[in-house]
Amino acid sequence: MRYYEKNNSIKGDTEDIRQILVIGGGLGGIRTALDIAETGRNVTLIDKAQAIGGLMTQLDRTFPTNNCDLCTVAPTLSASGRELHIDIMPLTQLQSLEGEAGNFAAEIETAPRYIDIDRCTSCGVCAEKYPECVVFKPGLDPRAPTCMRYPQATPFAFAIDMDKCTDVDGLVNACPAMAIIPDDKPKTTTIQADSIVLAPGAELFDYSLLDNYGNGILKNVVSGMEYERIMSASGPTNGLLQRPSDGSQPKKVAWIQCVGSRDINRVDSPYCSSVCCMYALKEAIVTKERFQDDIEATIYYMDMRTFGKDYELYLNRAQNDYNVKLVASRPHSIEVAPGTDDLVLLYTTDEGNMEREEFDMVVLSTGFKIPADLIALAEKLGVELDQNNFAKTSTFDPVATSKNGIYVCGLFESPKDIPETITQASAAACRACEGVGRFVQQNTADELPMERDVRNEDAKIGVFICDCGENIGGVLDVEEIAKYAAGLPGVALAEVVGHGCSSESMERIESRITSEKLNRVVIGGCSPRTHEAKFQDTLRKAGINKHLVDMANLRDQNTWVHVNQPEAAAVKAKEQIRMSINNVVNARPLADFTLPVNKDVLVVGGGVSGMTSAISLADQGFKVFLLEIADKLGGIAAQVRRTIEGDDATAFVESLVKKTMGHENIQVLTRAVVVDHAGMPGMFNTGIQFGPRMQYRSIKHGATILATGALPNKPAEYLLGEHKAVTTQLDFDSVLEDAPESIKELDNFVMVQCVGSRTAENPNCSRVCCLSAIKNALNILDLNPEARVFILYRDIRTYGLYEDYYSEARKRGVIFARYNPETPPRVNASGDIIEVTYKDQIFGRELVIEADRLILSTGLIADDESTEDLARIFHLPRTGDGYFLEDHIKLRPLDLPVKGFFVAGTAHAPKNIGECVTQAQAAAGRAKTLLAKDSISLDGAVAKVNNNTCAACLICVRACPFNVPFINADGYSEIDPAKCHGCGTCASECPAKAIQLMRFEDDQILAELEALLEVIA
Amino acid sequence: MEKSNNTFEPVVVAFCCHYCAYTAADMAGSQRIAYPANVKIVRVPCSGKVDAIHLMKALEKGADGVYVAGCLEGDCHFNTGNIAASRKVTKVKILLDEIGIGSERIEMFLMSAGMGRRFAEVATEFTEKIRNLGPNPVKAAADKAVG
Amino acid sequence: MITAERKPMEEIVECARNFSRVLLVGCNECVTVCAAGGRKEVGLLASALRMHFMKEGKNLEIIETTLERQCDPEYIDELADSVGQVDAVLSMACGCGVQEIARRYKDKHVFPMVNTKFMGASERQGVWAERCQGCGDCVLGITGGICPIARCSKRILNGPCGGSTGGKCEISPDVDCAWQLIWDRMKSLGQEDRYEEVMGARDWRTSRDGGPRRIIREDMAL
Repeated sequence: MRYYEKNNSIKGDTEDIRQILVIGGGLGGIRTALDIAETGRNVTLIDKAQAIGGLMTQLDRTFPTNNCDLCTVAPTLSASGRELHIDIMPLTQLQSLEGEAGNFAAEIETAPRYIDIDRCTSCGVCAEKYPECVVFKPGLDPRAPTCMRYPQATPFAFAIDMDKCTDVDGLVNACPAMAIIPDDKPKTTTIQADSIVLAPGAELFDYSLLDNYGNGILKNVVSGMEYERIMSASGPTNGLLQRPSDGSQPKKVAWIQCVGSRDINRVDSPYCSSVCCMYALKEAIVTKERFQDDIEATIYYMDMRTFGKDYELYLNRAQNDYNVKLVASRPHSIEVAPGTDDLVLLYTTDEGNMEREEFDMVVLSTGFKIPADLIALAEKLGVELDQNNFAKTSTFDPVATSKNGIYVCGLFESPKDIPETITQASAAACRACEGVGRFVQQNTADELPMERDVRNEDAKIGVFICDCGENIGGVLDVEEIAKYAAGLPGVALAEVVGHGCSSESMERIESRITSEKLNRVVIGGCSPRTHEAKFQDTLRKAGINKHLVDMANLRDQNTWVHVNQPEAAAVKAKEQIRMSINNVVNARPLADFTLPVNKDVLVVGGGVSGMTSAISLADQGFKVFLLEIADKLGGIAAQVRRTIEGDDATAFVESLVKKTMGHENIQVLTRAVVVDHAGMPGMFNTGIQFGPRMQYRSIKHGATILATGALPNKPAEYLLGEHKAVTTQLDFDSVLEDAPESIKELDNFVMVQCVGSRTAENPNCSRVCCLSAIKNALNILDLNPEARVFILYRDIRTYGLYEDYYSEARKRGVIFARYNPETPPRVNASGDIIEVTYKDQIFGRELVIEADRLILSTGLIADDESTEDLARIFHLPRTGDGYFLEDHIKLRPLDLPVKGFFVAGTAHAPKNIGECVTQAQAAAGRAKTLLAKDSISLDGAVAKVNNNTCAACLICVRACPFNVPFINADGYSEIDPAKCHGCGTCASECPAKAIQLMRFEDDQILAELEALLEVIA
Repeated sequence: MEKSNNTFEPVVVAFCCHYCAYTAADMAGSQRIAYPANVKIVRVPCSGKVDAIHLMKALEKGADGVYVAGCLEGDCHFNTGNIAASRKVTKVKILLDEIGIGSERIEMFLMSAGMGRRFAEVATEFTEKIRNLGPNPVKAAADKAVG
Repeated sequence: MITAERKPMEEIVECARNFSRVLLVGCNECVTVCAAGGRKEVGLLASALRMHFMKEGKNLEIIETTLERQCDPEYIDELADSVGQVDAVLSMACGCGVQEIARRYKDKHVFPMVNTKFMGASERQGVWAERCQGCGDCVLGITGGICPIARCSKRILNGPCGGSTGGKCEISPDVDCAWQLIWDRMKSLGQEDRYEEVMGARDWRTSRDGGPRRIIREDMAL
């Protein structure tokens, strides 16, 4: 982990190290930096805040899994701290930029933290004694409950706001680690960068600017983010739902959508912020989940935009399972109910009536806004912005800014949710690495001493007790604990080491291991979660296997929680030390596995996504096998003629095909199907049949990208396929391109949305149809301004910046009419014409349109047949509707659950061409991170089968959550260490006790119990 | 805290999964939420690793109460380890009733990594429950036999 | 595979009550596969027994071991040392294993710890169902691979009987009518006509009716 805040640790300006600069340390920036670093390139990550993590770390839970956010984000954050090639510079901003792609010189300034990050132990004394001095900025109440921005902050250190500090001397003396630097100064440095990725995020709309919602004065009106903080277990109320005015638990809560978005009347923004519908649903669901019938949750919305993967199911769950009320309306204003803190919401219904309803609390679903400092940053960088101040990009190169060598991801590109940010981040990392040489990896293993074989030695345990300043030492007599430990069997030495994690102490531990020939180590200190890796490194440096250390968590799980019972704490501390000793005595040295990596890639699917991934990989020298089931490349995009932005999709697809076919590193195999598969990440072996004669061939590859696409849906509804005036949006594309004259002769065009989507059979939203409909409507009006175009819809889902096209369509007279799914439009053929009958919400009665053309927005469905076959052959899971299911719907949208597999394009979920290109670049980037290494290192803490006792009963085979064990040809269970996740479920289920999970073997666990209970029993 | 006759301090063993419950325990620490020192934590990678034998052995060796704490349903880092753990706890409960030790001495709890307060609540409530149940009859009889 | 289930603790406790040192023996074959008497169940039962008696103030010493198989004399011989140290043997194997221990160690009490249930197959994790009764004259070849003897409640050879309703047996709606299954199978094999063939009366001497059975393979005799 390297944090650079001190002058002396900054690399010399003249040193010519090629690297990539990432601006912004939110989730997108972290993902970008990790991806770049994993390919072996150097990266500097700067963020203006004192800890990285961005907006996500403030959330309570995330949709659609309702996971606790800290659980999902914390591993990513600590991973970014560990990564060798990443320099993290918190409190740092860009001052100016010179040079060009391949040779940028960025001047950056780091603000003073006033705390020495190497000394700070995050004990929290400063925050406790001088809360006003400590920087902390979450929602609502800034001081509670801990002063870290969130409990697992990276770096895990405080920051001081000197301006607010009145008693500087007191503060300096209060710090037990002597980490306060009162005269800390800003530092300016220039770093060289080959390319730059912008991931600065955005800020949330400031609702105090809206007078109709109380200008931020009404206490019980909060933003979505503030509501998250109230609900968060680490928030100001410790997760109790209390309304701000009087701390009472609300019984009726309303959410108002599109606050600061989709409006241009006041200070709002015209675009859609993309995430608010989902987060309002999530907040409502979590609220209902906790309080059920004790609370009423109502969402006031214009269009419910649940367009992401499986998001429609989430909407259905909110309504059907949680009884969240949804009201299609236009909210007008909030007033205070006289004499109370309650609120009255005034709103207009779809039918045009003004209604009023009382609530205890109102949550404003505020959207994103690009802040002024980002506009200034763009200017410094010379990056062009669009009219809404988002970074300008192009459809077919979606993460490249207007300036060569500068890429963008996340909210600064357009409003989006976490999975899309992560996808863009990986795509930006992939693009930013192009042409940047890899840092020559020093083989660190060579510098380390040989591991001493300690298996036959008697235990010689070194016990090192940290006092962690007052944290442990203030409650426990650490000398006494050390003395006690010294008397225990197997202990060669026991001593107090102050802050065990400080570099001095680490060096001391290392030298004691060597000089005293210790073969086991126990650290009595803090949590193994945060510090085990550090001490493992120390052991390794001292020539001992890293698994021979155990940590007794004397701080987080003893002194911090038993501060008021010092006697009980002392007894418990001794028990903890005994347990650790017994654990480590039974610990065995474990070898981490390494396997050679085959650098070739198999890409399945030759559409836009597959070709984009293939070209991106091939351009960097990877050999790619591209399989296409059809007899030519192109996929579904070959039928899309023009994007909504007006770009020529046909020409784009043609250029991709040409490039793919001509690429020396790409071998295209058409009419190809996958028939068998074996191996592990880095060394797969896949059998295919291809060509007109279904010839068999086996391909060796290190990574696999699935880009098998989706199919245009053609449900037999609304006379589709029966009447020549009825067509799908996709087929209508070609009519507009190839027979524009025919449009001029027609008067009435009717489009029906959600045909075959959002239904019981195909429950999800197809995402692309609203855009297709509006694109085609505008094209009709371009060709025939007199035409009348009706779009019958349920919700218009022109998410993000696409809202502009919706506004334009309305402005140009396209008639939008909402229909209720219970009373869908009816059609009747009458000669060449189709009579379309629908119930108009405003008039409240049925209207009939005589349509010359009926154009159905039928969307996409999964290519069930091919995903089913591939899922079976590759052991991959699918969603209920037949798309591939990624490893983590939020944080790993590109990786499939089988390591070495990645997904791109519409095989993942419906998306438009630009989004496919992004995901394809991202999947290629992910594959490159895997293939950058010459060998894969796999953790030794995996399950092992004892062949002699295995009864081949199949219980492990069935119990493993990842389908790893199998009964091998010799008739016993075999667990591939490369695939084992190390959970130990098999070990605990095995009826023959033939499986042990290394590092957590039964004798280790039982010995711990014995150590704890021996005195008692 | 060796037992004088009138003050019974139960020994409670908590098997905590690394990704959620153990982290929640750390979180209780960083938020300084107190809970009884009677609770001793054994770290496991996943609650699914906890073997029925571990639970039995803890009681046999004299623990007064044992619980397994895993991730919330659907949050298990290893997909379903917490569900497997719940099943094992149920199995051991039945066995404990059969031999007259009582199924109340063992429990399964679910919590997320962020739930420091929940960890402390569970630790406190379970310790109190065991305190009310009195000492593990196995240990009590052994003590009587010795003394 | 032979399936078994652990006996109720009450019964087990009574077996062990009068002894102070016992040997608890598991078997690494069928009872391990059906999770009734393998190494793990030995550990659990030993712990449970010890606790039960400790609670009563009694110290029951248990030696735990698991044999590769309890139905072969060579494996049973391995127990000689430990059997010598104990008052009784508690076997977690099927009835075969219990009897083999009794045969080899004539002066030692032997108790079964499991109830041996049936020869069956595992339908899925944790579910086993009876499939074979060892009748000694297999008819599966003519009944489409479904055994009317093990799976028909009445063991009738020309079914179904009048108690078959909606594919289920009259004894319980959870029990499939074996003859319905046989008919469905025949149909999917296109052999409906074979169903018409009447099976003659059967000689049950090959089954239990002929008394205890044994197999003698002269070709293997040493």
